[in-house]
Amino acid sequence: MKPSIKNPNWNVLGLLPAHVIMLLTLIIPIGIIVVVSFSTRGPYGGFEYVFTSAPYKQLLFNQGWTGELEFNPQYLIVVARTLVLSAVTTSICLLLSFPVAYFIALQRPTVKVLLIYLVTLPFWVSMIVRVYSWIIILGKDGVIEKTLRGLGLVDQMDSLLFGNTAMLVGLVYSYIPLMILPIFASIEKLDHALIEASHDLYGNRLTTLRRVILPLIRPGMIAGAILVFVPSLGAVLEPTLLGGGKTMMMGNLIQLQFGGARNWPLGAAIAIVLMAAVMVFLVFQGLRSIRTEGLERAS
Amino acid sequence: MSTRIRIAAFAMAAAVSLAVSAPTLAEGNLAIYAWADSISPEMVAKFEKETGIKVTVDAFSSNEDLLTKLQAGSSGYDIVTPSQHFVKIMIDSGLLEDFGASSMAAYQQVLPEWQKPWWDPSGNHSIPLAFGNAGYTVNRDLYKGPVDSWKTYFEPPAELKGKIASLAQPDEVIPAAENYLGIKYCSEDPQEMKRVLDLLLAQKPFVAAYSSDNIENRIGSGEVAAHFWWDGNTMRLRRNDKANVEYAMPKEGLVGWLDSYVVPKGASNVENAKKFISFMTQLDNATAQYNYYGHSSPVKIDESKALYNKQTAPELFPTVPVKMGQACSPAAQELVTKVWTQLLQ
Repeated sequence: MKPSIKNPNWNVLGLLPAHVIMLLTLIIPIGIIVVVSFSTRGPYGGFEYVFTSAPYKQLLFNQGWTGELEFNPQYLIVVARTLVLSAVTTSICLLLSFPVAYFIALQRPTVKVLLIYLVTLPFWVSMIVRVYSWIIILGKDGVIEKTLRGLGLVDQMDSLLFGNTAMLVGLVYSYIPLMILPIFASIEKLDHALIEASHDLYGNRLTTLRRVILPLIRPGMIAGAILVFVPSLGAVLEPTLLGGGKTMMMGNLIQLQFGGARNWPLGAAIAIVLMAAVMVFLVFQGLRSIRTEGLERAS
Repeated sequence: MSTRIRIAAFAMAAAVSLAVSAPTLAEGNLAIYAWADSISPEMVAKFEKETGIKVTVDAFSSNEDLLTKLQAGSSGYDIVTPSQHFVKIMIDSGLLEDFGASSMAAYQQVLPEWQKPWWDPSGNHSIPLAFGNAGYTVNRDLYKGPVDSWKTYFEPPAELKGKIASLAQPDEVIPAAENYLGIKYCSEDPQEMKRVLDLLLAQKPFVAAYSSDNIENRIGSGEVAAHFWWDGNTMRLRRNDKANVEYAMPKEGLVGWLDSYVVPKGASNVENAKKFISFMTQLDNATAQYNYYGHSSPVKIDESKALYNKQTAPELFPTVPVKMGQACSPAAQELVTKVWTQLLQ
């Protein structure tokens, strides 16, 4: 007999600390944000507990310069840009991670451990320091510019810093370990007999990669994609420090609403929308993987 | 059974200790939240040594950050140092302690022109710390042209295109644009604010970055050739790092500011805060603070020991009008936000 059946209260009680921590640090704060997002903004920031759905309306409609209410996609543009940049970041991470993870998986066990350790090493340093160091690399008289000039390849070059490229470099750099690790884990589990079988059946390298290896490591790629995509949506540091603060992502937009704009309810509403988008994305992914698993089991 | 009760009790205790954040009430502490690098560490050490009070200093880089923290409640700070318009907003929102500043001895050290200003008419909520203005500075290695107008900054000549940086706060940049366009601060007229937006949008393609951090490196190293900045900071970069920078004196006027010591409502160490403020306004200490911070002093200092004067620090003695930044009405602030969001959308 399982202990949980004999004593059904035990599991609930044993997990109580976890539930309490979840409640205090996750559920209640999110509840507060929801309440704020339906409150009236204070004259100088802050908010008053007077119910209104205005912040959500404000996401789509704004007073134009002539005074009447008009459809204004200014916030939707930021949302769209955030989604596109996060998707691009995820794609680049996917492309770069696969060869890296495969290479690591092919090494001797000791080398493997060392390489995995090196992949996780950046996490020991504060994110701000790591993003800042890219300013030194990309900036004027930075490592890249000096090298190119030293090799005589360029004479005078524009700063690489401050733009979407620098921002993407920062995002990819920050989150790529989160992609390498799950892909590595699924490559490790790959049954090499299947690759040999593919070759025996006259599958060339490309066919083997496409029809055997990639489908088998797909769960790792999906896990990695989620781990990279979700934090990219909320990125604040990279757009500010490397992008030059010229184009906002959702994180910066939320920051602006709580800071300079002094419109907390709108900031909270944007945060809720961001969170809802992530939830929808995750639920969709979850349902899809359940469905494919179900199909596989049925066949 | 008893085990279960013990676990439940433990869980409850954990919950309670999480819910009640332990306040730092210990006697002899002082928590300061001030502009980055604004308070002389030497003076803090001297104060700690003289009084035995343990001081912690945290830094902010915009008034908005500070306001947000105070509005969120129980900031845990005993002294904060907002600029004049934010002092007014904080007093109006009931966020500040009336610590009877005007009856303190420190008040006698405040220069007459800064006593009972419009942002603190009773003089009871604040003691001034430093004043100066916001304008722009140019790197003279990269730009040789004139800097006698905001035009150079907002409608840059060819050699400055792509080599300009702004601050990341609307509160700092928009009043300067208003000075240039001849619009009064905190305008509630959408048409006027639309002109501000158009000016900033036209400037945007030439702006390398909107950032309030790491400015001395960006302008000092020549990453950019012009930067929105403050008078005293430019002076310090020029004097300390021998950077070839020059602070502009635009004929349309600079944006004035004055930062004050204030005490947030509900601060746990009000008496220590008053001790510190008194300490910092004593003649010798105020002079040392002035020599450290490099912004003009609104309290009396010992001129014979002061490092900066008209000859050594022309930045601190503007030759053009200085118009103090105002506290905007919610309607005007809404327009400011609209300009900024559309600029960076």
